[in-house]
Amino acid sequence: MQVSVAYSTAGKATDGYAPRFLPTSGTGYAKAFVGQKRGLVMLNRAEPTILHIDLNSCFAIIEQQSNRLLRGRPVGVAAYDSPRGFVLAASYEAKAKGIKLGVNCQQARVMCPGITILTPDPSKYREAHKRFKHIMLQYSDKVVAKSIDEFVLDLSGSPAQRAGLSPEQVGQEIKQRVAQDLGEAVTVNVGIGTNRFLAKYAAGFDKPDGMTTINDGNLEHFYEGQDLIDLPGINVRYRRRLRASGITNPLEFYRADERTLHKIVFKSVVGKYWYQRLRGWEVDDRVFTQKTIGHQYALKQKTTDLRELEKLLIKLCEKVGRRLRRGDYYANGIHLYLGFSTNQPATSKGKKTRVSDHAAFMYSPPSTHNLHRAGEVKDPKGTAPLGFETNNHTPLGFGTDQYLRSWHQGRKLDTRLYSSRDIFLAAKQLLRSAPIPSDVRIMSVNVYGLNPWDPEQINMFEAERNLSSGKNLSDAMDAINNRYGNYAITPASMADMQGTILDRIAFGNTPD
Amino acid sequence: MRRSLGEPISVVYYFDARTKTIKPYQLTWNNQDYRLGAIDFHHKTNVGGTLLHHFSLCDEDESVYFKLQLNTDNLHWELEEVMSASERSLLYGGQGY
Repeated sequence: MQVSVAYSTAGKATDGYAPRFLPTSGTGYAKAFVGQKRGLVMLNRAEPTILHIDLNSCFAIIEQQSNRLLRGRPVGVAAYDSPRGFVLAASYEAKAKGIKLGVNCQQARVMCPGITILTPDPSKYREAHKRFKHIMLQYSDKVVAKSIDEFVLDLSGSPAQRAGLSPEQVGQEIKQRVAQDLGEAVTVNVGIGTNRFLAKYAAGFDKPDGMTTINDGNLEHFYEGQDLIDLPGINVRYRRRLRASGITNPLEFYRADERTLHKIVFKSVVGKYWYQRLRGWEVDDRVFTQKTIGHQYALKQKTTDLRELEKLLIKLCEKVGRRLRRGDYYANGIHLYLGFSTNQPATSKGKKTRVSDHAAFMYSPPSTHNLHRAGEVKDPKGTAPLGFETNNHTPLGFGTDQYLRSWHQGRKLDTRLYSSRDIFLAAKQLLRSAPIPSDVRIMSVNVYGLNPWDPEQINMFEAERNLSSGKNLSDAMDAINNRYGNYAITPASMADMQGTILDRIAFGNTPD
Repeated sequence: MRRSLGEPISVVYYFDARTKTIKPYQLTWNNQDYRLGAIDFHHKTNVGGTLLHHFSLCDEDESVYFKLQLNTDNLHWELEEVMSASERSLLYGGQGY
């Protein structure tokens, strides 16, 4: 195999380039850098020890495992089974008919007339995730859940490695254990590489039920003949950027020198990271602390009715509040996002609302009556509601057709957000300041500025003492709900809301 | 999210002391008895302090699929979902919601 070697000519920028994300000890580093000059970064020639395990078509295959009448048949799991609900996961039989993420139920039924569309059953998927993780932990303590259906397993220094098992043997055992513990219909793809990127890339080959190892000997073979967006982390925009620099496929991307990627293509340190990543060096093992807690809801009945939206907002805030308190945090900021339907403008008959029509409305002074409390004034210019300090978030989001597609705003507060009521009142202020030019289809609430609720210092000021009593009340309500079930006790305004905000599995990380 | 049909149902089940597991054996639904096959998926959920067991399985002939729920507080069984092989359309609670 011809190994591509790129000499960095970045001079000062790379001269002292101590690759902080390269392993500073262990065989991998030593082996790869033997005989190389300072400043060179070559292929990682270490033995692969990272496994990326991907549950194939997770939701759909768990449904097929649960219900044998669905096995061997096209199945789609959709957010809603209404015509516009979109497919979250499709079985391999459905994928063969062209059904993939984002196709709506109506289209799916046209493309594949025999398809069974199901709505999600999150508790079942969480159970599968739990069992899946339990299996992984038998082989290494370095297990990271990347999402509900993806795990990264680092075998370096693990009992499995000390017992002399190769990554391929571990991968094979995991496959057998998954079939035993989750069921014979459940299959996984195993990707093995020297870093997370290559392991994930490898897991994308030979689906379903495949196992692929990418090492220094076959790396170029796997880059050959692929599209740039086949690489994990390369989206359409990155592909456009790479193409603009004359890089049209993964092999050219791999052969590009560091300076080109750093200075010309990405114009940032991201280019350096890609240079490392493509050569099998680990740059993605950083652990991010949780900075926000949020919930999103896609409305089945899209509406512009503020009362309806406030009802949904209460429940979103209750869910956010429960998670905030479960982590024993309080928050200092709140963020509201509204996504609008572009099909049904609400403000006129047959005429879409243009940006200029509602921009003025957007910036009109918001209502102040809900959070006007003693000790909360922090707005010297007097433009924000009392108790709020506006941040720099851009509030308007426009689509390419110049119609308002979304709106969002965040506010930093000088008080602690802890109870669901406080979160709701803060979110309601934001909602009332929002333009609603057409039906709202998505609403999300996030709290940020998370801090652990330290052992409490009793405050001599009355407002702070009131806050403490609010904490006790929230904790008491949570204890009742934990004992008797979610929403056993709720604010009166939530009385008829049972089941309105559905349980969902988020895409991406599953921190709690 | 699928909701349960919430239909109380009569189930014959046994406890295997060797494997420490229970197994639904037979149920009666719509005045018809169904002998049940192997459990295809079993998971647990909590509603407050109440532990619920959920069993997904088919009858022995693989003509009807059932999802059953056992409430460990009162040992009541409930039918959550059902699907027949002839129609292959899942019947569950809160449909069209």
